[in-house]
Amino acid sequence: MRVLLAASALLAAAPTSAFAVDYLSADQAAKLMFPDADAFESRTVALDAEQLQRLEASGVRGRSANWPVRVAKHSGATLGFIVVDEVIGKVELITYAVAISMDGTIKQIEILSYRESHGFEIRLPAWRKQFVGKGASSPLRVGDDIANISGATLSCTHVTDGARRIVAVVALARRAGALT
Amino acid sequence: MSQIRTVHAKTILAMSLALAAGSALAQTATEAELAKKLDRLAAELAEVKAQLQQLQQKQAQAPAAAPAQTAQTAAPATTATAASTAAPAVAATPATPAYSSSLLGPGTVLSSYGEINYNRPTRASENAQADVRRFVLGYQHRFDAKTKVVTELEVEHAVSSADDPGEVEVEQAYIEHQFTPTWAARAGLFLIPAGLLNENHEPTSFYGVERNFVETAIIPSTWREGGVQIVGTFDNGLTVQGGITTSFDLTKWDATSTEGRESPLGSIHQEMALAKARDLAVFGAVNWRGIPGLLLGGSAFSGQATQGQSVEKSRITLWDLHARWTPGRWDFSTVYSRGTISNTAALNAALVGNPTLIPKSFDGYYVQGAYKVWSHEDYALFPFVRWEQFNTAKSYADLGPGLTPDAARAERVITLGANLQVAQGVVLKADYQRFRENADLNRFNLGLGWSF
Repeated sequence: MRVLLAASALLAAAPTSAFAVDYLSADQAAKLMFPDADAFESRTVALDAEQLQRLEASGVRGRSANWPVRVAKHSGATLGFIVVDEVIGKVELITYAVAISMDGTIKQIEILSYRESHGFEIRLPAWRKQFVGKGASSPLRVGDDIANISGATLSCTHVTDGARRIVAVVALARRAGALT
Repeated sequence: MSQIRTVHAKTILAMSLALAAGSALAQTATEAELAKKLDRLAAELAEVKAQLQQLQQKQAQAPAAAPAQTAQTAAPATTATAASTAAPAVAATPATPAYSSSLLGPGTVLSSYGEINYNRPTRASENAQADVRRFVLGYQHRFDAKTKVVTELEVEHAVSSADDPGEVEVEQAYIEHQFTPTWAARAGLFLIPAGLLNENHEPTSFYGVERNFVETAIIPSTWREGGVQIVGTFDNGLTVQGGITTSFDLTKWDATSTEGRESPLGSIHQEMALAKARDLAVFGAVNWRGIPGLLLGGSAFSGQATQGQSVEKSRITLWDLHARWTPGRWDFSTVYSRGTISNTAALNAALVGNPTLIPKSFDGYYVQGAYKVWSHEDYALFPFVRWEQFNTAKSYADLGPGLTPDAARAERVITLGANLQVAQGVVLKADYQRFRENADLNRFNLGLGWSF
């Protein structure tokens, strides 16, 4: 089990920095993934215990009950959804954003920051493109419909698992009428 | 401020716990409650952050000549963001995503891996052994967003004392500093980028109970040297590494022991234990991962190795080519590596009569295929087969008739077995190895491994 022993200073907060391993801010990613959007509305999807269990039953670990979702809008019409999330790569957190189209499939994945010493390659467009068009009915698993990157197995697996979870959470929320 | 830190520490800790918890088990009501608690904590944190941002905004607005930096910090909460296009208005952007990356500055992460193995030779069961092959504890500490230290401390064979076979080793201890998103530097004791296994040597990363022979007998994994290296990672999938390090110490060659026959470089590596450092080495490695699922790469290492201890000079060079391809459920890999030691005729002249002279060249290759035949949640079963051919004494320099040792015959080994992933980071392994040259070594192996 990973133990993050020490937390950090809050004042270090400046994610817009282009330095080191932060590639995009969440806002930049949202605009990049939905360039036609003229507004992004922020919602929080709250899953109850039963919904979490339903997720679990479908092979997706819910992890969190509350999911902040950005809804991309153009002239009042919904274009899609963006979820920013973090997963652990090997020992460090990877921040990524998943854009979901109205048909429930993945439109785009962007890596916002990556801190590991190995496995930077998950940033590569060629790897991320594998997710495009995959939805709740796709396996979305490394070693199945998503090819692994040698030497970055854990990063690949955890981002893929995260994307699968986000697709399922958005689908569940839309079925429940929470993201109209 | 300390209160904020506490909340954050709890959140991170609880997050890690939540992430690590519940492998194959259904989510219980308790977990759902925990998730809710986490969210409450996250919400509280978001609130605190929003308040802080308001404060910062006020501070930024107060003096007319507010520095741009402070305004930038406050940017995510405002509609005018750092993005260049002014058109899209971000309506009520949340103050923070679920877990804010910006909070992950300095942090210390504990890591570990271990291998517990059982070997049973089929023709010599009296040689069956059970061994805590490796037990490794490591930590990574991040000093700031660009600088971290990575360490691994290893105990081999469980007990290390004057009367026991074990060893305690510092396997890695280096500082990594990121200059730009593309370029980073490492300094200290680090793993040499050679082959597929050396830098990824955790038991969950390879098939079979024991590491393959090519990457232990020819490439002496876990092979590390002290020095400096630069690492460049490019958007086209290319990773380049290069640097200057300590080298081997050929004056350690023990011609009376068979160690040099088992692994020529493994018997003379220095591992930065009071390493003789008159002669340095250079290395370089290129790896390309431009197509998902494909890795193509190669490496080379070369350095003088007599360290001024002998009048004779000698250069040791080791290079490799490797490839790995993982289409869908398949996993194919291959490595070829070859090493040479120069001026061995002069060095061996003084050793004639001993059983193990210094070889002039040694090499080996393997091809391996694995298939994920079954998976359920985190359980996954990977049968595999590996064919290896390696020769630790492929040629000797000419010492004259009757004195030049005969080149060794290449050993050929087939390994057939399976890895069973029990959880992400835990693996059970079983395999059978058949040796073509020395059939007395044929054996069954069982292994348990973990890594996090």
